[in-house]
Formats: sequence, structure tokens, C-alpha cells
Amino acid sequence: MTRRASTRALLRRRGWLGALGSLSLGALAGGPVASSLLGCSALSSALPALWFSYGGKNREALLALVKAFGEEQPEHRLRAVYQGDYFELLAKLRTAMHAGAVPAVTHVIAEVMPYLAEAGVLEPLDELEGLSGDLELVPELAQEGAFTPKPGRRLYGLPFNRSTPIAYLNGAVLDELGLAPPTTWEELERFAALATKGEGSDRRFGFACPIDWWFWVALVGQAGGELVDAEGRYVLGAEAGERALALWQRLVHEQGVMRPPPGRDYNAWQVTNLDFLAGRAAMIWTSTAFLRYLEENAKFRVVAAPLPRDVRHAVPTGGTMFVVPRAATSEEKRHAAAFLRFMVLPERANEFATKTGYIPVSRAGIAELERSGWYASHANDAVARDQLRHVRPWPWSPELFRVQREVVQPRLEEAVLERRPPREVLASARHAIEEGM
Amino acid sequence: MKPRRPLDPYLLLLPSLAVLLAFVIAPLFFAAKTSLYRWDLLTEARFVGLGNYASLASSGQLGELVGRTFGFGAIVVVFGTTLGLALALALDRPGRLYAFFRGAIFSAYVVSWVAVALLWMWILDADSGLVTVVARALGLPTLSWLGDPRSALVTIALVTVWKITGYAMVVFLAGLQAIPPSLHEAAALDGAGAWRRFLHITWPSLKPTTAFVATTSLIASFQAFDVIRVMTQGGPVRSTTLFVYAIYEEVFVNLRVGKASALTVVFFVLLLGLTGLQLWAFRTQRASRPREEEPA
Amino acid sequence: MSERRSSFDGAVFARGSVLGLVAALWIVPYLWMTITSLKTLDEIVQAPAYPLPSHPNLDAYREVFTSLPVGRYLLNTLVMAGSIACLQILLALPAGYALAKLRFVGKRAAFGLVLACLLVPPQVTFVPVFTMLGPLGLVNSMAALVVPFAVSAFGTFLVRQALLSVPDEIIEAARLDGASELRIVYGILAPILRPTLAAVFLFSFVYHYSDYFWPLVMTTDDEVRTLPLAIALLREQGTGVRWPVVMAGNVVLSAPVLIVFALAQRHIVRAVAARGS
Repeated sequence: MTRRASTRALLRRRGWLGALGSLSLGALAGGPVASSLLGCSALSSALPALWFSYGGKNREALLALVKAFGEEQPEHRLRAVYQGDYFELLAKLRTAMHAGAVPAVTHVIAEVMPYLAEAGVLEPLDELEGLSGDLELVPELAQEGAFTPKPGRRLYGLPFNRSTPIAYLNGAVLDELGLAPPTTWEELERFAALATKGEGSDRRFGFACPIDWWFWVALVGQAGGELVDAEGRYVLGAEAGERALALWQRLVHEQGVMRPPPGRDYNAWQVTNLDFLAGRAAMIWTSTAFLRYLEENAKFRVVAAPLPRDVRHAVPTGGTMFVVPRAATSEEKRHAAAFLRFMVLPERANEFATKTGYIPVSRAGIAELERSGWYASHANDAVARDQLRHVRPWPWSPELFRVQREVVQPRLEEAVLERRPPREVLASARHAIEEGM
Repeated sequence: MKPRRPLDPYLLLLPSLAVLLAFVIAPLFFAAKTSLYRWDLLTEARFVGLGNYASLASSGQLGELVGRTFGFGAIVVVFGTTLGLALALALDRPGRLYAFFRGAIFSAYVVSWVAVALLWMWILDADSGLVTVVARALGLPTLSWLGDPRSALVTIALVTVWKITGYAMVVFLAGLQAIPPSLHEAAALDGAGAWRRFLHITWPSLKPTTAFVATTSLIASFQAFDVIRVMTQGGPVRSTTLFVYAIYEEVFVNLRVGKASALTVVFFVLLLGLTGLQLWAFRTQRASRPREEEPA
Repeated sequence: MSERRSSFDGAVFARGSVLGLVAALWIVPYLWMTITSLKTLDEIVQAPAYPLPSHPNLDAYREVFTSLPVGRYLLNTLVMAGSIACLQILLALPAGYALAKLRFVGKRAAFGLVLACLLVPPQVTFVPVFTMLGPLGLVNSMAALVVPFAVSAFGTFLVRQALLSVPDEIIEAARLDGASELRIVYGILAPILRPTLAAVFLFSFVYHYSDYFWPLVMTTDDEVRTLPLAIALLREQGTGVRWPVVMAGNVVLSAPVLIVFALAQRHIVRAVAARGS
């Protein structure tokens, strides 16, 4: 009897567990519903997605444009989703392609475009409405001029966030030393030496630059080298590649006039910017993209200058291309096309460029800024545009991205920070490319 | 007991076993199979036999990874266990203040790795971080803790120690509470000092606990990922690329699924070895400290 | 405090100070996080180590809540962690019951399988699970976050161990009463195991609430983005980290866990200690 009574008492106490069960099943079933009710309306899943990367000022400028687009063409409204830095976004994009849940449109770093295009996962954009004709783009920034040409190649990407590396100098230091921005490698070394002073944590370095593939490619070009030879083999600049590495090593180790920036990927870029703003580096190399940010945050006059030459002038282009995943629905592609048409218009390209420091991607846009006197009053903005003359195109090589990420970038950091002989470093890089590709 | 109907036990177990088979056991075989291919997720996979393993071994990448991961594990285990034991001994007493200290230290263990990593990035920031600024004010040399390849791994290991010491402490506290107070009382009557009592009573009873804490922390340190993803992304110069991060990077950044699967298989074998170690520690602990069944 | 010592004792004081310093190692970072979140970026640049904000303000929090749909992400996180914890308990009970109480062919093998799964952490399974779920269209869904964790080998093990010490008579009595097996499991045994289940639930909930790894590799879209992912993205790259905003995000992310922890410390500690004993 007593045992039965206790059993009943126990049975009555199962209420909490039932609640737990229904809660969990309810949560699974009703989760999406509940969350869309409670969630921000901007997240409504019906809208096609635009994935973007890069934060700060760029994000604000882009979001303003997306909003303007949505107001102007509400039928094509997109939902902008932030996905971290370029490499995070790329990882997410390929995840999504594998899973068949792609965004309608996104932007990827230019170096990976040949890989994605050749893998057949990108929609040829000239197939989309209103994107087949001449879009009046700046050729060096668009696919046609940013990559080595090949007749008959389809259009896979439209330029966005396009830049070249430029030099930023601390105006106060220029005044103090009575120097002009360096125009050759020798002048660069001399400037760096003269502008370096102090010891320990108070030391001001003459020069700082992320130990990054992009700047190395710039140096290789200036030293007269090419990444890829005429047969399409990765020679990594050969002699010129070694000279480029040796320059960094000399500046960092022998002369102690270049601050070895720490960190990886975009961390190093940020540290370089902060060193410049804090007066710990008199000159830095970084993207023209940071122009507005550096100008607005510096307590001194910011002077932008073209990169110096060695045997010739040369810069790579940087930044991203808008692409449309092939797996997007035709409906999504329609919206994406409308958005891309909107973004390449001269006034949109200019709005984004003048807010950040990127180069306007539209020829008419640049002409308009010229006409209105913007470049006359913003000499720093003209530097990157003027450098377009010296752009060396990227090889259209599906391996380019792997060569950058897996082979060269990690070796550069190692070579400079740990002072490895440039010849060995590049030989091992070429070997790794032959082995792995 | 005899089941009411012969199928009952199987039906009761079915959901659990199905999930475990689908998401734990089957993936292991799938990984082993994928490790024999070269595959980038986007295009056709190509059979390469043991090529992925061979290139991992011959490029030196594997040896480097294992060495680095063990080095990281060693720091985490030594400091985490020692500190956990010291804190357990110091804080094993009544009083609200002690309870607060215990809670504060253990709380780091439950807070998200994301929060802990971001917090320490800020504290260790080479420009305006608390540590840097205080050190500079005291005239001590400062370092870019996370930016220098010589210090980044040690720094992350110490942040990991900060996070998991509370765990070690709690396990040690449980171990301490299992020591009958009469032992200490008897020794105190015999005139044994605090240090002698620790050496002859506390430490021998805690030895198995220590072995357990050490092996568990080692296994946990092998699984480190969040902290690296947030703080350094494996850099600078690969100095913080530990095993799991390397797997992640191969899949999601380099799109080498076959290579990542080969790494996964090796990683699993390593974990098996470590778990063998742990089982051994577990047995020793059980044997030397007969405990009641699970407290209900 | 000590009975044998006088009211002031140098040794006690010294030990107290050392302890205080050590405890500060854990307390100061939390304080610094909170203080930073109340400062402005300018203040931080000007006087990085000044301990107090000159004009405490909530701008950083406002920024977090306007730039992120925090409510949505928090809900995603709670739904995910809650579903996992509930499912683990719901599934561990029948499995633990069969393993602890019933006689059947293959019991040892089944138990061995459960134990074997203890050896395989998510860091081992994520690559194959990801590639398996992709073609099924399940990546990027709440299911990809929840279902792989629906069974906890450890939870099942704990439930089985706890059931071993429950007398068979209770079950026999319930059978005599005509209760079905499911009713016995959920209606009779579950309440007896309440402390064990609470420990499993809380531990699992806290673990998955804080998890960064699995949601990172299994999702891309912000429809299913969880709070830790979103907060990690606050450290925007490119133009200077806005530490007050990041720290405000940190506070938002940590506060729920710390509150749960403060309320249920006993259970969580028990779950952790159970792993060790």
C-alpha cells in the first residue's frame, strides 16, 4: 500500500519533466517562428542576401548604399549580412556553396576569383540583365585589366572595394626633417633611417608595413620581377623576389628602421595603422582604403604618396570583386543584377570611394571627381588613381589563391621575422608549389 | 530485470544509439575514407591513397603540429594543475569570502571562450592593454604578447590556464572533501605541522585526483580551438597553429578536405592514446579511493 | 576565524594578502571588462589604464544593440542550448534505464558503444559531419546545431550510474500499477534522478550556450547565428578595434551565464566534479 502511494506521489511529480519535454520539442518546432517574430525585421528571411566583409568605415558606407538601393528599388531589396574579414567570408562562402545555401551576391578577394570561376561555381555576369554591355568601368580595377587577359573569358566579377597600396607619411615628420616622400628604394632606406629615433617603447620607426603578400608583390614588381613566367610557371619573381625580401630584412634587422609588425592577416594591417596614428611609425605602406580613416584620426597632417620605384614603378591592385554564386536562384540573380547595376553607377561608385579612400570603379565617376575639383582639393585621394598607370595585372591562375595563402604568405612572415635567407625561402616556396599543385 | 516485452530495451535505446552512430561513429569511418582523397568540396574528389598522410609527414607539418600541441598542453597541464591544487588547498575553508573567491575563479570556466579571448586580447593589447600600460609604468620591458612568435603560444597557454584552473580547483576540492577529517585530527594530535600533514595525508590521497586532472586538462588542451580562432588565427608565423586549428584551416581556408580528414584521423588516434592514459588514471583513482556510487 | 589564534596574526594577514592578490587575477579582468564597456574610445586612447570612466555612459551598449539584432541572436542561442540540454535528458533517460535495469542480448556492446563515444569530441567529427550534412541541405540550420548533440554519452553514462542505485522494487511496483515503460522512465524514475538530471541539464546548457566552435563551422547565415559568433565579429577588422563596444558585447554575452552560474553554482560544480570522480 505505502509503496503504491509513493508511486502515485512520484507520478504526480512528473509535471516538471513533461514541461521540459514540451519545451524542448516546442523550441525545436517553434524556434524559427518565435525567433522571426521576436527578431529584427531587417532579418526577414524572405529577402535575398548580400554577404559582405570588412568593418568600420567601409561597413557604414556600404550599408548606407544598400539602404539607398532598397529605398530606390524596393522590389530588389537585399539584406546585408556581415561575415567578418575577407578570409572569413570566403570560408563561409565555400561552406555555403557546398551546402547549397548561397547568398544572392557577395564580394571576394580578387586573387580567389580565378579559382572560383574555373571551378564553375560563379555565374557569368554578362548573362545577367543589364550587365552585358560596356559598364564604363576603370579597366585596371575591373576583371579585364586586373588579370592577365584571355580572349573569350566570361565576366565573373565586378569591381568593389578596389585599391592599390600607397605610402602614408606623417606630415610633421616631413616638416621636421625637411624631406619629401621617397620615390626610389634608396630614398626609402634613407628616409627610414633619418626618420627613426628614440629607444625602447618610445622609439619612432621610419617605416612600417605589414609583412604581407600584397606588399611583397608590389616590391617584386618594382624590382622588375613577375610572379608567373611566360609559360605560366610560378617563378615568384626569381631574383626580384629575393631582392624584395632582402629589402625588408635589411630594414628590419640590419638597420632597425622598420617596425616588424606583428600578427597575421588583417591584424598586422591594423597594428600598422595604429603605429602610424600613434606616431610610432613615420611612414607606412597600406591600402588606399584607409585614407579617410587615417586622415580623420591622425593628430598630424597625413601625406599620401605613391610607392617608390626600384628598376620600375609597379603596384598590384587589391580588394574585392562582386560575384554571384551560380547556385543562387534565378530570382536572386535578378535582384543581384539590379544591385550590381546600381553599384557601378558613377555617383554610387564615387559615394563609396570618397567616404573611404577606395578608387572609384567608374570611369565617368573619376571624370566627374576631376571636373568638380575633388581631386584638386584632395591630393591624397589622387595618389592611388594616378598609380593606376603602374598596375601589374594578376595572373589568371586558379592556383593563385593557394600560392598566396598556403605557400608565400606564411613563408614571408617566417623569412622576415626569423631572418631566413631569401634564396632558400623562395626555393622552398617554388618547391611547395610544384609538390602541391 | 527482465524486460516486459523482449523488444523494449532495444526500442528504449534506439534513439540514442541512432544519434551516436550517425554523428559520432559513422563520421569516423567517413573521415578515414575521405583522407584517401584529394577534394576541395567544389570539384570532383580524386583518389590519392595514402598521399595525404605521406605529404603531411614528409613536409614536416605533422611533426611540427604534434610538437607544438604537446608543448602547449604541457604548459596548460603543469600550470593549471599546480595552481588548481594550490587554490583548492588555500580556499578549502568555510566563510563567505572564500566561497566568493572559489566562485570567481570557477566562473572563468563557464564563461564563453569568445568572451575570455576577447577580454584577454584587450588586457594584453600591445598599445593600451592593462598589462602593457602597467608594465610600462613600472619600467618593465613589454612585449607584443600575441604578436611575437616567441611569446604568442605561451601567452595563449596562460590564458587557457586562467580559464580552466577553476575546473582543476573544483575537482581537487572534491578530492579534499573525500579525505576523512579524522586523519588530519589524529595527525594534529601527534604534533604534525601543516606541511607534514599535507605531505603525509593530503598529497597521497590526492595523487590519483592529480593524475586525473592532469590527463583531463591535457585532453582539453588538445581540443583548443576557440581561443586561437579568436586571438591569433594560428599566427604569427604559425606559432599558434595547434592541431584542431590546423584541421579547420585546411577545410575552410585551404579547402583541402582530404588533408584535413587525414589530420582528423591522426588527431583521433592521438586522443585515443591520451584517453588510454586517462583510463589508467581513472582506474588508479578508483582503486585507491573507494567511493560511494554517484551521489543521488 | 581561527579558533586557536589571537585576533591579529601576521601569518594569517600575509596569507590573506597573497590570496587576495591571486583572487584579484580572476576578479580584475571582469572589472576591467565592465569598466571598459562604460568608457569612450577617446578616453581609452588618451589614458588607457585610468581605472575609472570619467563619464560612465552606455553608448557602447547602445552600439551593440543597434548594430546587432542581439535579441534574435540570444534567442537562437537559448533555443539551441535549451533544445540540446532537453533532448539529452529526454534521450538519456530511456537509454540509461535500459542499460542499468533491463537484461537483454547486446547490453554490454551497447554500453561499450556509449562509452566509446566519450572518446570522440566534436573536434574530431566536424569535418565529416559537415561534409555529410552539406548535400542534405542541413548545414546552416538549427538542426545542424542541435541534432548532433541530442545524445550525450556522458549524460547517458551518468543517468545509468544513478539508476543503478535505484531499487528495482520501485519499478516492479509501477509495473504492477500498469504503468508503461515510458511512464516508468519519465514519470517515476526521472523525478528520483532530479539532481543528476539538473546537473546534466545545466552543464550541457552552459557548455552549448558558450560554444563557438560548432556554430562557426556549421552555419553561415545570420538566421541561425548564435551570440558568441556575433560577439566575436564585433572586433571588426580594418579600422581600429572599438574596445568599449567589444567589451560591452562581452558583458552582454557573459551576463546570462554568470547569472545562471550564480544561481545554480552547486549543480554546475557537481556536474564538473562528477566528471572527476
